[in-house]
Amino acid sequence: MASTKTIELTRAQRGTARAYLAAVGQFLLRSKLYWGLVLLLAVGIATSPVNSRGVNIFLSPGNLSDVLRQVSNNGMVAVGMTLVILSGGIDLSVGSILALASVLCAMLWTQSGWTSAAVISIPITALVLFVLVAWVVQAIPRMGAQTAGNAPSINRAWTMAAYCLGALVALFTAVWMVRMLPGKFGVAGVLVAVPAVGLVFGALNGVLISKARLQPFIVTLATMVGILGIARVVTGQDASVFPVYVGSNSTDDVDLLRALWWRVLPVPGLFFLAAALVVGVALKATTFGRYVYAIGGNEQAARLSGIAVDRVKITVYALSGLLASLAGVLYTAQYQQGKPDAGSGIELDAIAAVVIGGTSLMGGKGFMAGTLVGVLIFGFLGNILQLNNIDSNMQLVLKGAIILGAVLLQEGQAGRLARRLGSLLSRTPAAGSSASEVTSDAARTRSAPGTTGAISDS
Amino acid sequence: MERRTLLKLSAALAATANIPRGFAAKKYRFGFSQATILETWRVQFNKDMRKEAEKHPDLELIIADGQNKTEKQVADVENFITQGVDVLLISPKESAGLTPVALKAIKAGIPVIILDRNVDTDKYTQFIGGDNVLIGRAAGDYTVKLLGGPGKAKGNIVELWGGLASAPAHDRSKGFHELVDKEPGIKSLLAPIDTEWKANKGYEIMATALKANENIDLVYAHNDPLAYNAYLAAKDGGREKAIKFLGIDAIPNEGVVWVQKGQLTATFLYATPGAEGVRQGLKLMNGEKIPHQITLPTMTIDASNATQVLKENGLA
Repeated sequence: MASTKTIELTRAQRGTARAYLAAVGQFLLRSKLYWGLVLLLAVGIATSPVNSRGVNIFLSPGNLSDVLRQVSNNGMVAVGMTLVILSGGIDLSVGSILALASVLCAMLWTQSGWTSAAVISIPITALVLFVLVAWVVQAIPRMGAQTAGNAPSINRAWTMAAYCLGALVALFTAVWMVRMLPGKFGVAGVLVAVPAVGLVFGALNGVLISKARLQPFIVTLATMVGILGIARVVTGQDASVFPVYVGSNSTDDVDLLRALWWRVLPVPGLFFLAAALVVGVALKATTFGRYVYAIGGNEQAARLSGIAVDRVKITVYALSGLLASLAGVLYTAQYQQGKPDAGSGIELDAIAAVVIGGTSLMGGKGFMAGTLVGVLIFGFLGNILQLNNIDSNMQLVLKGAIILGAVLLQEGQAGRLARRLGSLLSRTPAAGSSASEVTSDAARTRSAPGTTGAISDS
Repeated sequence: MERRTLLKLSAALAATANIPRGFAAKKYRFGFSQATILETWRVQFNKDMRKEAEKHPDLELIIADGQNKTEKQVADVENFITQGVDVLLISPKESAGLTPVALKAIKAGIPVIILDRNVDTDKYTQFIGGDNVLIGRAAGDYTVKLLGGPGKAKGNIVELWGGLASAPAHDRSKGFHELVDKEPGIKSLLAPIDTEWKANKGYEIMATALKANENIDLVYAHNDPLAYNAYLAAKDGGREKAIKFLGIDAIPNEGVVWVQKGQLTATFLYATPGAEGVRQGLKLMNGEKIPHQITLPTMTIDASNATQVLKENGLA
């Protein structure tokens, strides 16, 4: 029996037990992020009502794909927010960018001619494409082996070619869009034009923050207010309260963006997962990602070690704006309306999801998988509460408690919790004193000298 | 020196701006202080008011926007008192904040008509407002009839709340339950969830309710956009044909359009007091006596009269 064995531990066996416990504790700590989600899923399955065919509703594919769709707007914004927070900043303007995007999108889909939406988005799209194409083409020779002896004339010719190509692409796109104007924009047109606008406003945040050396909080607070104003102006006096309803006025392919593929995969969720994957890989595997961490960890050191801090920061905020505006397009497609108050409060939801996912608000620490989990925890929590028909006041209480709990878990307090759990587990099989000696030994060796008093068994 | 000329110039500009067009030709001047114009219902309110005022060529109507700030609205009303309008109409942002200035106008001898939300005094000439409990009852009555009639009504209903912190939402729920709760066959499926009047939340609550409940017969939403989004959720789940959707407000280019398209079954008018306020003010000018309080009736708009209502509003 296990209990007698525990009592008869030799000194060497005690050592291996200690190491074993330490490994388990380490594993629990490393994967602590996922335990919250697993626990929540277990609660969801256990409490879910069952339908007449005996299927657990929480686990039914329809419900799970609903959750994925519901979190995808917040998720897209949270992916951008992760980048921004990792770089040591914050972006409060995402809700307003989402709102502006939803308004532009609804107007382009439903109204023809040179509406205010078209006047804003077509020139901006052309500008963005010009800059992007010129930049990418210029970067191509630099990607190859860095040969020092490049003749300056070749460089100049290449630069000229890059600008020409950029201008050409911009011109073609502008012509393509203007020719769409007598009718309405389709999905393709909107998916080019609206994110371009989001990118520009995000880049504006970045330029103000990096070049003017202003606090990200203040800059994005200001643009949050200002962009909301732009969204209202674009919709016009009356329409700024009457949402622009998409409904049957729009082109048919709008339904593509709210489709449910193979009855389980919602297209908005696909956008979210793709965004998380691309940005996550970029963070892990590219120099850009390394730079983001470096800047968030110590901006001064990053600058001194030759990182183009300003350029990285502008890129980070531009990406955040881009993702927020994509979320705006998905919002418009899903709820069939564009509204200046569409994204109100989403910045806080996104920040909460990022922090639950273990990213430090101080910057430099965190990763994309955490954000993915944070977003899912939020989504599943709302879904479970709703399936169990809990009224919304109680929902707020429980949500607050879960956020606190998750953050406690993230902020290392979970380490103490795991140690206590470990000591409990090892004590249960044996009633003898030797087992408790093992655990207190283990606890002492694994805790920092100063904190020993704080973890006394109670 | 320069600053003074600037002040003079701006004062002169302000004075010219304040002179109403065709001032000489108009017999009466009504000043209306609106709380905010950033709500669909308030926009409709102003539209109704202007439409009614245009019918009377001898009436000049000036509308001031309080921008959802009590202090701005108080200043607007004070301006109207200084200008000496013939009738002062106020739709207060909040009761307590607007009471002193309303009393000031009454003291100055201007007839005051309070619209929609009351002030903390009864010295005004008239109060005109809707009654959300009444509208809730109309919706409850309609529901009972749709589900089989009094005593026999049977079905599962979903109620989509507006704001849990908003009095109209509570009134709309109260009136509805007064009638519906009498029917033992009607079962309300959801606990109250705060949507903060946001339509997209209506969509998500409905989407989950559809998963959790295999039989839903009717959705009662506290306004039309919520009802419409519940319809969209049901449509995405392929169950919109089995469910009836009721909304409230009946704003022409929202709820009435959706009823006419057959997406909502019915909507119940929460009339704006705009047109009635103008009519009552003119009565007063013509020397008639007007009642101290008017409660606006509601109206049921369903497939039978939606097209007609749209025509009246120039939308069909």
